[in-house]
Amino acid sequence: MAAIVEGTGLTKHFGTGDATVVAIDSVDITIEESELVMIMGDSGCGKTTLISLLGCILTPDAGQIRIDGEPIDPELQDMSVIRREKIGFVFQLFHLLPYLTAQENVMVAMDLAKKNTAEAESRATELLTQIGLSERLHHRPAQLSGGEKQRVSFARALANRPKIIFADEPTANLDSRQSDNLMNLIQELRQEHQTTIAIVTHHEGLKENADRVIQMKDGRIVAA
Amino acid sequence: MKTLFLKDMRYRQARVVLTALGITVLISLILLLGGIMNGMRIQARQYVESTGADVWISAEGSGGAFIGFSMVVEEYMAFLNSGPGLVPDSAAPLVFAQARPTVRGKSTKAIVVGYKLGQLGGPKSTVEGRMFTGSNFEDYRPEDPVPYEVVVDEKMGLEIGEQITLGNEKVRVVGKAKSLMFVLDTPLLFMDVRIAQKLLLGNTPHVNMMIAKTNKSEQPAQIAADLDALETIEARTLKQTLRDIIAYYVDEPMKAVQFLRVMLWLAAGILIGMITYVTMLEKTQEIGVLKAIGGSNGYVMGLLLKQVVLISAVGVLLGLMLSYVFAAAAPIFVLINFVESIIVACISFVVCCGSGYLAARKAIAVDPMIAFRGEI
Ligand SMILES: Nc1ncnc2c1ncn2[C@@H]1O[C@H](COP(=O)(O)OP(=O)(O)OP(=O)(O)O)[C@@H](O)[C@H]1O
Ligand SMILES: [Mg+2]
Repeated sequence: MAAIVEGTGLTKHFGTGDATVVAIDSVDITIEESELVMIMGDSGCGKTTLISLLGCILTPDAGQIRIDGEPIDPELQDMSVIRREKIGFVFQLFHLLPYLTAQENVMVAMDLAKKNTAEAESRATELLTQIGLSERLHHRPAQLSGGEKQRVSFARALANRPKIIFADEPTANLDSRQSDNLMNLIQELRQEHQTTIAIVTHHEGLKENADRVIQMKDGRIVAA
Repeated sequence: MKTLFLKDMRYRQARVVLTALGITVLISLILLLGGIMNGMRIQARQYVESTGADVWISAEGSGGAFIGFSMVVEEYMAFLNSGPGLVPDSAAPLVFAQARPTVRGKSTKAIVVGYKLGQLGGPKSTVEGRMFTGSNFEDYRPEDPVPYEVVVDEKMGLEIGEQITLGNEKVRVVGKAKSLMFVLDTPLLFMDVRIAQKLLLGNTPHVNMMIAKTNKSEQPAQIAADLDALETIEARTLKQTLRDIIAYYVDEPMKAVQFLRVMLWLAAGILIGMITYVTMLEKTQEIGVLKAIGGSNGYVMGLLLKQVVLISAVGVLLGLMLSYVFAAAAPIFVLINFVESIIVACISFVVCCGSGYLAARKAIAVDPMIAFRGEI
């Protein structure tokens, strides 16, 4: 299997002087194609920082990242282009735009990538239908339940057919039934789209869905 | 999705409408103040131009025509009337004095124009009634006994035969002249120069100026310059007089208003900058998320700027229209200069967009990591 995302010797510090925090400390990580990985560990161990590095939102102080085999150079490449073309994000707090409907929220991702509107609209409809929200296309986030919002944000993450989706605690704001539904959906999506997904979570119960669990502690990977 | 920015605006419509209205009010005030000053300038000019005089003469050191007082000396009058380059016997004394007549029991504001019947300085005929009785004395001695009669502006609403009080004396309205208001809609009261001297100048042989026409063949500027070279008198052309009167009655007193206009501009800029900035602060999270999911700075900037431009354009356009409505409804003469109003509108638009741009630029600097951090 091919490595979709590869990080070698990744290091990230925050702050300066005595206040320096080593959030990620010489981490090597590989995520294979179509894999569902869970990243787990205590609060503050560096999970969010790690996926931000791999997702090209943060730039590492040291180390190298490859996405789909291509090395990333933050000096030479526009990170926003890589993010919109190759990566999907799902956030704990959903972060849908409040003034847009479910459909439009999915379309925004394609709009950023300069896709044509008609095409974006049909893909958004298709994705939302697939995740069981065909009845909610024209609802605003305020009219959706937490579980529905999180599903819309998965649809948004999938919109540009990314190489990988990073989800930071996607179930933290959902009850256990909603979170089970979401995991089922993720499994279905994987079947359908062969998407590679990395999920940061505290929920031990989700482990069983994972192909692999990456355990972190104090900025390092302790088990993978 | 070309309409993304519109959807955002519709979602925040109360704020969008308030911002646009704020700009509308400020812009219309800026334009209205300009229109008031423009109206004042026009009113300051129109009387001066209506006299038909080419040279405006006052005593050396008096402060100038319209402002100071000059003694009417017989020798001057004789000299001017036979004067070099002047139309023979065109030189005429003129009183132009602010007064507070009591009209129908109410003290009002007016300007008394005292001139020689049939000569330069005031109307030769009325639109209703008759002209005042002129004095016979050619030398303007204080004893000249003529009846207290006045020709009023037709717009004052006075009837022929009515009396107004001016300096403790009753003056009878005998005629109405075609309306010719002075600055801030101040009506002119036309009367014989002797009556004006008696009622307003303590019966002394003073006038504010003497005016005259130059011969067709002469350059008024040259004649005025020649007269001005004389030691005892100051002479000005029509152009110089207009400049002086506009400076004295409009520009100097309205300096504070000019300043206010600039401040209003600043306020409009700060208003939209501030509202945009506050809106942006509220949108920080959204902007961070858009950046996190791959929106370029240009994309986010475009989204914000389209809103700023639209709000500014609507606010400025409504302000432009509203200023004309205000001008029509204003209790004084207001005339907005169209070209000036377009220029002001354009500058205001640039100011609003500029400050909105500054706020937007600050807002898009947000770290996309904010998307992971939840509430801010
Ligand atoms: N911008 C920052 N400035 C300073 N320190 C930071 C910053 N971002 C993260 N850190 C620190 O880096 C470390 C790793 O943070 P990170 O958010 O990656 O942890 P996490 O594993 O995601 O924790 P949680 O489970 O609570 O979300 C923490 O000690 C945190 O305080
Ligand atoms: Mg975290």
